[in-house]
Amino acid sequence: MALNRKIAYIDLSTGKIEIRPIPIDVRRKFLGGRGLDAYLLYNHTKKGCDPLGPDNTLMVSGGILTATLASATARTHVMAKSPLGGLLGSCNMGGFFAPELAWAGFHHLVIKGKAEKPVYLWIHNGKIEIRDARGLWGKTTTETQWAIREELADEDIKSLVIGQAGENKVRIANVMTGIKNSGGRTGMGAVMGSKNLKAIAARGTMDIKIAYPKEALDYNKRFIDQITSAKVNQTQGALGTPFIWGATNSWGGVRCRNFQYNQELYCDEIEPEALDEVCAETMGPYHMAGCFGCQVHCRAKYKIPTGPYAGVYDEGPEYTSQGAFCGEPDCRSIETLLTGNHLVDQWGMDNLETGSLISWAMELYELGILTKKETDGLELTFSNDEALLEMTRRIAFREGWLGNALAEGGIIASEMIGKNSFDYLIQVKGVSNLHSDERATPALALNIATASRGSDHLRSRPAIDLYHLPVEVMRKIYSNPVPYDGPLSSEHTEYIGKPWQVFWHENCYMAVDCLGICKYHTVFLGATLPNFEDWTKVLRYNTGLEFTPREIWDIAERCNMIERLFNLREGLQREDLKKGDMLNHRYFDEPCRRGAPDVVGRVIDREKFKKMVDELYEYKGLDKNGIPKPETLKRLSLENEPAHLV
Amino acid sequence: MVDQKEGLSTAESLRKTRSYGQVRCHNPSCMGRLQPQAGVNQVKCPACGMEYRVAWIKSGFPRIRGPVWDVNQRLAEEAFERKMKEERKDGPK
Amino acid sequence: MEPMGKVLAITPEKCTGCRLCELVCSVFHDGVSNADRSRIKIMKWESEGLYIPMSCQQCQDAPCMMVCPVKAISRDEKLSRVMVNHDICIGCRSCVAVCPFGAMNFSAIDRKNFKCDLCDGDPQCVRFCDMKAVDYVEANRVSILKKKAAAEKISVARREAAALEREM
Repeated sequence: MALNRKIAYIDLSTGKIEIRPIPIDVRRKFLGGRGLDAYLLYNHTKKGCDPLGPDNTLMVSGGILTATLASATARTHVMAKSPLGGLLGSCNMGGFFAPELAWAGFHHLVIKGKAEKPVYLWIHNGKIEIRDARGLWGKTTTETQWAIREELADEDIKSLVIGQAGENKVRIANVMTGIKNSGGRTGMGAVMGSKNLKAIAARGTMDIKIAYPKEALDYNKRFIDQITSAKVNQTQGALGTPFIWGATNSWGGVRCRNFQYNQELYCDEIEPEALDEVCAETMGPYHMAGCFGCQVHCRAKYKIPTGPYAGVYDEGPEYTSQGAFCGEPDCRSIETLLTGNHLVDQWGMDNLETGSLISWAMELYELGILTKKETDGLELTFSNDEALLEMTRRIAFREGWLGNALAEGGIIASEMIGKNSFDYLIQVKGVSNLHSDERATPALALNIATASRGSDHLRSRPAIDLYHLPVEVMRKIYSNPVPYDGPLSSEHTEYIGKPWQVFWHENCYMAVDCLGICKYHTVFLGATLPNFEDWTKVLRYNTGLEFTPREIWDIAERCNMIERLFNLREGLQREDLKKGDMLNHRYFDEPCRRGAPDVVGRVIDREKFKKMVDELYEYKGLDKNGIPKPETLKRLSLENEPAHLV
Repeated sequence: MVDQKEGLSTAESLRKTRSYGQVRCHNPSCMGRLQPQAGVNQVKCPACGMEYRVAWIKSGFPRIRGPVWDVNQRLAEEAFERKMKEERKDGPK
Repeated sequence: MEPMGKVLAITPEKCTGCRLCELVCSVFHDGVSNADRSRIKIMKWESEGLYIPMSCQQCQDAPCMMVCPVKAISRDEKLSRVMVNHDICIGCRSCVAVCPFGAMNFSAIDRKNFKCDLCDGDPQCVRFCDMKAVDYVEANRVSILKKKAAAEKISVARREAAALEREM
């Protein structure tokens, strides 16, 4: 059954591998996935360690419900100390890796040390082997996966790999599986590269017993019906995440030219429907693909229609590729978008960071802070498609002065560039902001400022705040499973009630990440999608474990607090611009210039923002400095941590 | 024991609030419900005057593809000028 | 004459490759999640984005039935399926070798063959496939449905041609 999946502790320096069960009381405290990874990180990583040194510990996991009938249990989670901000590093991806890892007998891998030469892990039905990867070094992400299948003569092997960017310890390198499923944020690919770990290959045929098979099947059907009948998921299933970028751009909520504008004008060529046409022309009418067990199928398949890569197959592009290769650098070519998306997939680099950092450099170039000297002659202006793709390559291979500087991530690059370059860097905790603009949406601004892994929308974003839901509908969602009778506002330009929403979503998303299911199956983009109450049922039918909705909430709160403890230990301070819960000054000082009339002119109010952070801290049980109060740690049974329960 | 005839959860009970066939105006202060006629490719919000290009996910399922650039850009520029004047008059809000 | 009954009708281009069919197949038959136990399997050419569901065709003149030395395999005309009687089966795997579709499987765990039994008339792969890449339809309807889909393509082309003619 799911509960007998194990943790493997792997030391790449010594080659020692230890396999241990996960005690049931640990499950009841942290469930699995991201929550248990955070616990392992806090317990197994030395304070102040070098993120790219052997003391950093890399966690790879599936959730407690991975490969069960909980619907879309595809998610793989990767965690370590981040080489970008020096705080929590964490990324999460779809695809098929985590289910294969679970069928191979494991839910969690804890990888320490550094191999002498390139290696990969081969995990097969309860056994783990460290294998020579010298022949794989230098290969792209897909070449690596196909080569492993060939070497081990099994087409069903699923691998988690790094590309050349990870090998080069580019701090924005990602971890990938399949054609385009990426754990992009916080530079986990660089951590793998620093350990000389090219890939983790898994293949398993071990049964996962389902506690109540008939009920699990019946309930799964009902669960899927609830999910696929939602308007948002039907739109996702037709257009993928580009529809979110398109809709957000429509009212002026995306980032453009680093932070100069909040809307990309006249970009019809890269709108979701235009992308869909290319997919249909090159892949036929049914061109959407799904991750493991998911009926939303939001992943588009395409072939690049024109240019030097014409005819090459890839998947996506997602919201972040539209932001990275269109909105941010102010380019409007579908060829650039599809090509850029392909290149970062192949070299294994976070598209979000790539686009953000290059656009930042473009603004610095426009301002004269960067010149042709630093760009090695490259005309790094906005709307220069060729320069954008060339810079992408230089970062992945650390070529040229600026390529090498940007490969260090925003914070180190700003120190290398000097002058006032840091003032223009749109980041939180060293992690670039999503290509969205939150100046008109205080709830979303609070989310990115306080997210545990740095600026991020998938940690606590109350995206449904944009829907102007009736207050009584909001009340139904936000007063469960913990009662809340404070204010709530349907107005998304408001500040009141928003800290509670951010707190609620923070716990909701943590729970999802512990279960190992996708956020499109919860209250992320759709208000009517399942949450705590519904998860008690999938947990019971699939694992036999009984939880109340409140208990799942408490677990999520505990896991979020562990992440907070880790960040505090590594130097988080509330208003530190590099390591704090703080936004770039431009959010407060530069008004929005484009978009809907009511978005135009908006900034975040500094004082109100501060009050929102205060209020959120109160809900989380933190003091004014963002440090947990002793009674909070006691309430969450964390007063003795690190206690090395596993 | 597994209770097979469980009632609706909160999420399931909210399903009746879904509004197929309608889209919301993208102007935050408006957010009016628009119901485009079948097959049209443009719609104007009667409440606030914003104009949108409409795409169809499938029959009966419209989506705002994007703004009518010229119209909404003009509205944005007017709003920006007006607000900056107000701010100079009243001081920053 | 009695109608022949329903068959699995697979439309490969509709498959999204999610493998939920494999998961529900193993849970329904064995009470466990294990794609290796599934009677249906999605064959993938990942680098081209091609996914093809493969399962038993319930052949009329089933090679597995012909080759079985102990006559353990027979046709169940009521559900129009080919069934294995494991009380008789000796586990020689001749049926696995002869099946032209690779649809007769052999479980290394249980040490016996296994194949699609149409879930006794309620195929779970069909129940859970939102795309209807796998469907369960009357055998004589399959070709009609394909005719209609093909004709639709032709009709679109004809309409376009007619429109062009009018313009000229």
